[in-house]
Amino acid sequence: MGKLRAGHIIEASLWLGLSLFLYIYSFEFDKEIEIYKFGASAWPRTILLLIVIASIGQLLYHYKVGDGGSSGKMGDAVDDGSQDIANESGHTGLGWYLSTFGLLAIPFAYILIPEWVASAMSIEDTGVHIIKIISAVVLLGIFIYYLRSNFVGGMLALPIFFAAMLQDMGFYALAPFFILGVMFLMGERRIKPMMQVMLLIYAILLGLFVSLLYVGLPTGYIHPFYDFGTWIVTILQ
Amino acid sequence: METFNSFLGGTITLFSDPIGILIFFGGVVGGMLFGAIPGVSMLTLAAILLPFTAHLSPEHGIMLFSVIYCTGVYGGAITAILFNIPGAPENAPTAFDGYPMTQKGQAGKAVGAAVMCSAIGGTVSAVIMMFATAPIANWAISAFGPPEIFALVFFGLAVASSVGAKTFWKGWLSILAGLLVAVVGLDPVGGIARFDFEMPYLLAGIHFIPTILGFFAVSEIFVQAEKKAQGSFKAPKMGVEFPTLKELIAHKIAVVRSIVIGFFCGILPGIGATLAAFMGYNEAVRWSKTPKEFGKGKMEGVISSETANNAATGAAMIPLLALGLPGGALTAMMVGVFQMHDMEPGPLVFINSADLVWVVFAAMFFANLSIIFVGYLETKTIINLLRIPFQFLAPMILLLATVGAYAVRGLTIDVLVMFIAGVIGFFLRRSGYSVAGIVLGLILGKIGEQTFAQAMQMLHFEWSGYFDRPIALGLLIAGFATLGGSIYGAFFKKAK
Repeated sequence: MGKLRAGHIIEASLWLGLSLFLYIYSFEFDKEIEIYKFGASAWPRTILLLIVIASIGQLLYHYKVGDGGSSGKMGDAVDDGSQDIANESGHTGLGWYLSTFGLLAIPFAYILIPEWVASAMSIEDTGVHIIKIISAVVLLGIFIYYLRSNFVGGMLALPIFFAAMLQDMGFYALAPFFILGVMFLMGERRIKPMMQVMLLIYAILLGLFVSLLYVGLPTGYIHPFYDFGTWIVTILQ
Repeated sequence: METFNSFLGGTITLFSDPIGILIFFGGVVGGMLFGAIPGVSMLTLAAILLPFTAHLSPEHGIMLFSVIYCTGVYGGAITAILFNIPGAPENAPTAFDGYPMTQKGQAGKAVGAAVMCSAIGGTVSAVIMMFATAPIANWAISAFGPPEIFALVFFGLAVASSVGAKTFWKGWLSILAGLLVAVVGLDPVGGIARFDFEMPYLLAGIHFIPTILGFFAVSEIFVQAEKKAQGSFKAPKMGVEFPTLKELIAHKIAVVRSIVIGFFCGILPGIGATLAAFMGYNEAVRWSKTPKEFGKGKMEGVISSETANNAATGAAMIPLLALGLPGGALTAMMVGVFQMHDMEPGPLVFINSADLVWVVFAAMFFANLSIIFVGYLETKTIINLLRIPFQFLAPMILLLATVGAYAVRGLTIDVLVMFIAGVIGFFLRRSGYSVAGIVLGLILGKIGEQTFAQAMQMLHFEWSGYFDRPIALGLLIAGFATLGGSIYGAFFKKAK
């Protein structure tokens, strides 16, 4: 095994697995182009081949050297300390990864579950909106419950959750809660400063982008979020 | 004389337009501020502003980015000196001596040295750029066709792979990941959909703006969030005493040496300013009579590094403007600004948009000069800005990024892509991969594939055609030699 760790093998397997999957998928677009004899698939397949070579090279490097980086000060150029912080905070174990990926799965559940339910029950329009609101509330409850033991995982998942709901509920209604959520996950617990900063950021963003630059931010389409968003836009523009 | 007249013309155009003046000073202050605020960098600001440059004229858009580039490289030194957090990789060597100076209560001296030397290095580099870029561009029109551009892309990626990640292999995997993302969407020759997974969104390809925002701005917030959770933030000791003129003059040789190193490294299409800063620092150590004092708070370390990285900014514009090849993440974003205005940087820009080029040159010259004045004032105020707790800055940055990603095409899925890229960037960074490499691969991937296809059609699909084109052949050989050297180094040199 040389100086290999399980993490090195998992890392190489991920690259090799991804390459294999995409190589198989590349047959979907393996078509000839009249003026270009290499066709549409030659370039991506070359990249995939190089990824396979590089990941095997990386594996051999770990086998020989272990976790060490390239020699010299040059390696420090990009050392932003994130690896050290991860090690120091103990966020490298299987448990932490499972908990984090569990939290990251919640926003995707919000994207998929209402569609599945609506499709299975042949529900349309307002019914779908209600399912989406119920799903959002339930999944938010699960999210809050599980992030108590993994704030960093929560910090990774919260923006994705926000983005997943953006289309349905709009920027205007979600942004204040998002600001408060980020501050909370960053360790802020004082209610008054949180509210003051939230109002300040919200006012700056709306003043700058909606009033001055006329950027059309998403209003959502589910009532009452849509009504709130359009009301704000009407006032500011 | 012609160069001087063109420069004068660019200066008059720049300062006779109130909006231009506003954008110039906005860029100067914004670049310095974002460079100086821990957790964000000039790249964050540039990534946030990128979608909005579509609403500006091409002159204003490119000028804004070039000004941010000049002042942001300096601004990154402040976090390196005060917190040991380099604003960008090119500021990393500044921290070697700058942070120990802060710990000794000499933060003002270190920042002052960075202000003066960044301004000197950048201004000299801007002047050389004005004289050198046009001749290179004229030569490039006749000498650089698709085979040469492809060979240069290959060489640039080979150079970039050796700097930027924990190991050579991770550097290459980062770049290849970027190249792979660039493949998604329609192929550039036949318009055949690739890796679209039958999702209409992917047919248009993954837009580089949300990706850049995710990899830089969002992943940085996540890294800082982990530091907050770990309790790693440390308040620096503050000292506001600036270095004396005598102290600075005593280091004149280090300044000249770093300008030369910085300029030549900056021309390399890769991560020029990073290489410049490290080489500048390493040479200062090598030629010093007291090398053991480096790393313990020696001002010459800050001077060498900061002169070299700012000297690289002007030089980095040469491959961008003359050949259309970005040398790093920020110049890659500048390509994005060009593309949003249906323009391509390259030799023809000098013929079709000479006014734009000279406004940019003038702006870079004055931006570097203004570092002295604005930098001095800003340093005094930054002490207060640094008191803003990061938990209050983070939501603002994330929402600015959200607006930036959404504004590109009015698609909420772009916001989702940005945050997913942020999460991927977070995990890749803590595993030693280079997010700058991924972005460089993403940007150069499209240029690379297109020029490769054009080159092969031009050479009638005969690889031997490269032997008849000495520049292309030379660049390919240089690229393979760089690769060979890196592979040798990866296996046979002692690891850290």
